[in-house]
Amino acid sequence: MLTRLSPAVCCRLLLSPFLLVLLFVAAAFSAAAAEEAEQKLAAWKAMYQDKIHPIIESRCLECHRGEEAEGEFDLAPFVDGDSAAAQMDLWDRVAKRIRLNEMPPEGSPQLTDPQKSDFYRWIDSRPEQDLCNQLATDETQAWYRGHVMSRRLTRTEYTNAIRDLLSLELPAGVELPSDGGGGEGFDTTGDALFTSAIHVESYLAAADRLIEQAALDIATPSESLSEREAASQTLRQFARRAWRRPPQDAEIERLLVLFETERAAGANFVAAVRQPLKAILVSPHFLFVVESEPEEGGVQRLTPHQLAMRLSLFIWSSIPDEALLAAANSEEIYTPEGLRKQVRRMLADPRARALGENFGLQWLGLSNLATTATPDSELYPEFSSQLASDMREEAVRLVAGVFREDRPLLELIDADYVHANGTLAKHYQLDVPADAPWQRVALESRRRGGVITLGAVLTASSYPRRTSPVLRGRWILEEVLGSRVPPPPPGVPALEEAHEEGKKLSLRERLEVHRANPECASCHNRMDPLGFGLENFDAIGRWRTEDDGFPIDAAGKLPSGEAFSGPEELKQVLLRRQDEFQRHFIRKLLGFALGRGLNKFDDCVITDSLEALEANEMRAAVLIETIAASYPFQHRYFKAAAADPSAAAR
Amino acid sequence: MNERHLLSQPLSRRKFLRGAGVALALPALQSVAPRQARAEAAAATSGAPVRAAFIYFPNGVWEKAWVPEKTGRDYELTPSLEPLGELRSDVLVLSGLDKKNSHGGDGHYAKTANFLTGMPVAKTTGKDISSGGISVDQLMAQHVSGLTPLPSLELGTEPVISGIDSNVGYTRLYGSHISWQSPTRPVAKEINPRLVYQRLFGRGTHSSSAQAESYQNLLDFVLEDARQLRPRLGRDDQFKMDEYLDSVRAVEKRIEYATRQEPREWEPTLDPAELASRQPGIPRDFREHIEIMMDLIVLSFQTDSTRVCSLMFANDVSGRNFSFVDGVRGGHHELSHHENKEEKIDQYQRINRWHVEQFARLLNKLKSIQEGESTLLDNSMILFGSSMSDGNRHDPDNLPILLGGRGGGTIETGRHLAAEGQVPLCNLYVSMLDRMGVEVEAFGDSTGPLAGV
Repeated sequence: MLTRLSPAVCCRLLLSPFLLVLLFVAAAFSAAAAEEAEQKLAAWKAMYQDKIHPIIESRCLECHRGEEAEGEFDLAPFVDGDSAAAQMDLWDRVAKRIRLNEMPPEGSPQLTDPQKSDFYRWIDSRPEQDLCNQLATDETQAWYRGHVMSRRLTRTEYTNAIRDLLSLELPAGVELPSDGGGGEGFDTTGDALFTSAIHVESYLAAADRLIEQAALDIATPSESLSEREAASQTLRQFARRAWRRPPQDAEIERLLVLFETERAAGANFVAAVRQPLKAILVSPHFLFVVESEPEEGGVQRLTPHQLAMRLSLFIWSSIPDEALLAAANSEEIYTPEGLRKQVRRMLADPRARALGENFGLQWLGLSNLATTATPDSELYPEFSSQLASDMREEAVRLVAGVFREDRPLLELIDADYVHANGTLAKHYQLDVPADAPWQRVALESRRRGGVITLGAVLTASSYPRRTSPVLRGRWILEEVLGSRVPPPPPGVPALEEAHEEGKKLSLRERLEVHRANPECASCHNRMDPLGFGLENFDAIGRWRTEDDGFPIDAAGKLPSGEAFSGPEELKQVLLRRQDEFQRHFIRKLLGFALGRGLNKFDDCVITDSLEALEANEMRAAVLIETIAASYPFQHRYFKAAAADPSAAAR
Repeated sequence: MNERHLLSQPLSRRKFLRGAGVALALPALQSVAPRQARAEAAAATSGAPVRAAFIYFPNGVWEKAWVPEKTGRDYELTPSLEPLGELRSDVLVLSGLDKKNSHGGDGHYAKTANFLTGMPVAKTTGKDISSGGISVDQLMAQHVSGLTPLPSLELGTEPVISGIDSNVGYTRLYGSHISWQSPTRPVAKEINPRLVYQRLFGRGTHSSSAQAESYQNLLDFVLEDARQLRPRLGRDDQFKMDEYLDSVRAVEKRIEYATRQEPREWEPTLDPAELASRQPGIPRDFREHIEIMMDLIVLSFQTDSTRVCSLMFANDVSGRNFSFVDGVRGGHHELSHHENKEEKIDQYQRINRWHVEQFARLLNKLKSIQEGESTLLDNSMILFGSSMSDGNRHDPDNLPILLGGRGGGTIETGRHLAAEGQVPLCNLYVSMLDRMGVEVEAFGDSTGPLAGV
């Protein structure tokens, strides 16, 4: 209810005796929240006592007890709910081992399914903790612990790497499965990337056909160059690019065994060399981001080649080129100037389009536009897969352009141009010839320009047969401002959009009824007004002035009291909230770059980035530089891998 | 290592692998020409095996038009089940089944990822993803692995949903996977029918063994790479390398299988011309996509290329436009939130009914294929269902579940079996595992086999 007070009202309150009342209300409000948290914690502790402690006792303590506990992991002190709650972080580790079925170890009595159920439910019902009180523990220092960093290449990265390595597209008939997302919402998150048999089948088929097709630089044996030497030269050169580092002699020797085996079986020289070339493309050294561990554990800086790989995945979604590898070889990439030089060079390269196509589309939730946008062909016969693909291209160009041309970041909110080709320009009623190629089109008004009015966004956030101010508003809150919008709580009575007999209601009138319900209003008051600001765009992103016979009313009023009408004023509202946008955007970019969920230690990178942005007239390229130079981007937590008997047994 | 393959493989693998004159295709699972003599030998010694398919559709159903009032043999076909028609005698209608580990968590993701595991889904946006357990189809696949060219098929129609849902704290990939090889490993699904067909039947009949050996050598090489690399990686990274190792081994097994000499337990013959004629085209729309995917299930079962299959009609929360169904105007998820309004319920129910029509079409095709005295349908168990009941309420109890086929004559179909009082869906899985020859004491949250099946 506090959120409904407009600033104006607040100001008046400040000057009046009502101030005391307001403070009292606020105090009561936070007291209620604290009480709820208290109750959650109590229930969690009770469940520990009731259900979990007996499991710990019967399944864990035999080994994990006292000073001699296995793995120096003593669970004996956790005799009740209070002691369990005192070390919340520890249970993450316990849960992880149990979920991975690593604990109890094979041969020991296992948790039964009902015990696992109880345990998982207990872990997931854990109340949020006050992290600031625990800043200095060992556990929180090791922020990489528990994240997969040596992940496989995503489908996009694999495809790009093949393109850059061989100048070839993936062969027809080879299709990698799609990847999901994790962490901050990106497919670069190692924890959320999995490898199935159909991946390996595709890698194998692709390597096989690509190496046959590619115009490869294969050394020719001669009097002064033996076959073996020629093969070795060829393999060394190719492996260096494909594996992003100089290959070791032993690796070349093993590759040569493949060559010789083929040759002995009767293959000619070129055919025999192709065999190890294929193996290079199916090897984990190509398919995975290999960040192997140094002897000493703890937090270490990445090697220059590992850093080069992270950098090229970040900016190009692909593998390093010769120049970047050279900068790694010379360790120039380790110096601030050397790194900056590489970043600027890479941003200028056409491959940096990936910042729009990969990072941008994932941030905007548009990666699967072809399946998520399904306008009804009866109502929108103009919508076609070609138009969808043009809309996608518009989004790619907008995001990539801001970085590549070092433009002000806030053009993502409000720009005086759109990227369009003739088809899209016609759709947007812009004055451009129908067959015009892609170009930046200057706008007369600010109705369009920026991400919220992208055709792809307006279409993806609509239902097949109508717009949805709710979905559009939620989209702006989540993807532009980084707010959270909880789903409707369970048990909310069905929304009654009933209307007086015989009277046809507009969409807005129907949603007003919706917002009259206090349980719904708390969130819909945040979402719906933003969405209404875009009502002048129909479900496929065309400008309109009426809907279903009703004139469009694009006015909105936020809980803060801010009122606006139409997209131009809506963008002004968002520009006033640019701090939220900038912070959210940087968070997304950093999450994409690091390939993991962020934690409080990463906040310092966000703060640095915000300052760098400020110091550079809000131009975007400095964000890439700041992230690339940041501590978490250049370092990772290593833990020397313990001898693993299960691996040897394989 | 390399010599093993050069010297000890009497049969050349290559003929299964290489299309005439084309660059290498995916390894074919079986040669297209029927191995007549071996098939006859096999048929003489064993009957047709039991097959199982698990077909998921999103967004639940309108229960009042789905669940029959009467139980037992005399149940009435409700409006949504009407498309079953004569097939009612081949189907077991199940109601009252529950998934207790889906009562908490999110409305969708915590219900879909564990549709076939029955265990709690870990609440996470990425770190430590877990569906709580192995899925029932994958457990079956483990047990029949080695009897067929492919242990299982995982099919779908849509790419994995990208991104996370930060509001509810789940990664959206949970809504795209029902098959889990282990609690922490979802199995990628194939959505392109042509690739499924190629995977099953390869490209041509003239392949060379030397090429197969090359493949094998190559895979041995990369396995060795991964083995050497693994101990140099961090603990969490090692698990990812294990996925790679396991996947490479699975492909090796496939190639080995294709070169096997000994007769298969069950090897039905199929006219090569017919097989070729059933090569799928590119689906023009969703309806065709579903139809083709189901035909591929029929074909893979008919040829005993696999005995276990999962299919997701769509990912969870799918907003697919269903206006192609008579009387429907709108998207699936949107209409499933019917808000108890009649006009929306009617459309929601029509979408449910359309799904049952597809199921019936699949059953009819399976039924049209004779296997000795019985039909392919008689020897199958086709589970068809959703991970919630009413899409408006998102309840994981009274799940809409149909089971087609008699599981090799061990299931008494033609009835409506109403479970009393929160019986776990996993009890049905225990019963199905039993029919598949997999003995388990318990599965997921099961309390025993499902009474009355």
